[in-house]
Amino acid sequence: MKTMIEFTLNGEVVECLVDNQRTLLKMIREDFDLTGAKEGCGAGECGACTIIVDGKALNACLVLAVEADGTEITTIEGLVVDGELDPLQVSFIDNAALQCGYCTPGMIMTAKAMLEENPHPTENEIREGISGNLCRCTGYKKIIEAIQVVADQNKA
Amino acid sequence: MKTFEYLRPTSLKEALDILKNHDGNVSILNGGTDLIVRMREGHSSPEVVMDIKKIPGLDQIQVDEDRITIGATVLLNDLGLNEVIKTRYPYLAQAALSVGSKQVRNRATCIGNICNASPLADTATPLLALNADVHIYGEEGIKTVPLKDFFVFVRKTVLKPNEIVTGISFKQDPEALGIFTKMSRRKEVDLSTVCSTVMRTGTEYRISCGAVAPTPVRLFKTEAFLSGKTLTGEVIEEACKLAEGEVVPISDIRASEAYRREMVGVMLRRALSEWL
Repeated sequence: MKTMIEFTLNGEVVECLVDNQRTLLKMIREDFDLTGAKEGCGAGECGACTIIVDGKALNACLVLAVEADGTEITTIEGLVVDGELDPLQVSFIDNAALQCGYCTPGMIMTAKAMLEENPHPTENEIREGISGNLCRCTGYKKIIEAIQVVADQNKA
Repeated sequence: MKTFEYLRPTSLKEALDILKNHDGNVSILNGGTDLIVRMREGHSSPEVVMDIKKIPGLDQIQVDEDRITIGATVLLNDLGLNEVIKTRYPYLAQAALSVGSKQVRNRATCIGNICNASPLADTATPLLALNADVHIYGEEGIKTVPLKDFFVFVRKTVLKPNEIVTGISFKQDPEALGIFTKMSRRKEVDLSTVCSTVMRTGTEYRISCGAVAPTPVRLFKTEAFLSGKTLTGEVIEEACKLAEGEVVPISDIRASEAYRREMVGVMLRRALSEWL
């Protein structure tokens, strides 16, 4: 069974006829070819599929595609504006805050939503904030530093 | 995941009609953080998935002078970060914020946590200690069931196929002091190995535990023992012994039966010692 939905994806209004049992993550990756968000655990523990829906960071693997109807969704691909990377993306590159890269889109989207809510997090708040995102290369130190750099820019 | 009909009612009446017309084959989709995993793993294959998030009025935390009502679609983050809850019922706020990750709590709801009826539902112990009531909408209108009678067994509640929970409420008790404890292997994003809420209101005590029985439970015998007593080291020790005997935990992947039993004593001792 399928349902017709309409939503805003990275600033563009889109329509899609989706299978009711399709997850939001599958739709984004396979129907819209936006493969930044990854499926890791499929159960809300690893955060690799984190995207922003109506301003909130969510695990796209735990949302049905049909539930996206009427929402505004931002994926990692939507952070690039006019060819310019988001400050978080720049900081992750500058601070070498990635190894294999699998967790990176989820980490950055979680950090993006966190900084929108709290532009000046402490290191502890950053650690807590990304606790729903696992990095199996265990490169957390660099990730925290990269987010801290952007948080400090917000202060300036 | 098997396919299903997806319906999104915009009123409770419409939701009830959907439940009635599909004769028990409807899964209610609230936050979905549990349901979607269960459907993917084949534990649940409903004919109809009914999304209740567009029913107006269910997403509010209503603070009245004498009661607080948590609507069915209130998110765990919205509950845990609510100013009134944080200030007056910090143990409930802590329990709400101890579930899953930030991303999960941005989707998962307190009522969903309760309706799943997991033995280790984190928000169950503070609500049990608050003597909360579950509000259920069905053909005869709204009825109220005390939370302690709502849970029946692991993942089983008294909710009938033609009923829907609209919210949970509790009487305001500004005098009540409560302590929520969650023991887990990891500080964030983990399930409780055991959890509890210990509450003191006047000279009465209320104790509830999770992951020590098929459902979250109140320890009424231990409460009765403590009732009206002045807390001393001896009284606390006796209460802890009683509590350890009152629970019926199992051994599983997270802990042994003996460990859980002992931790019930530890949690109670630590909490009561705060009020010595």
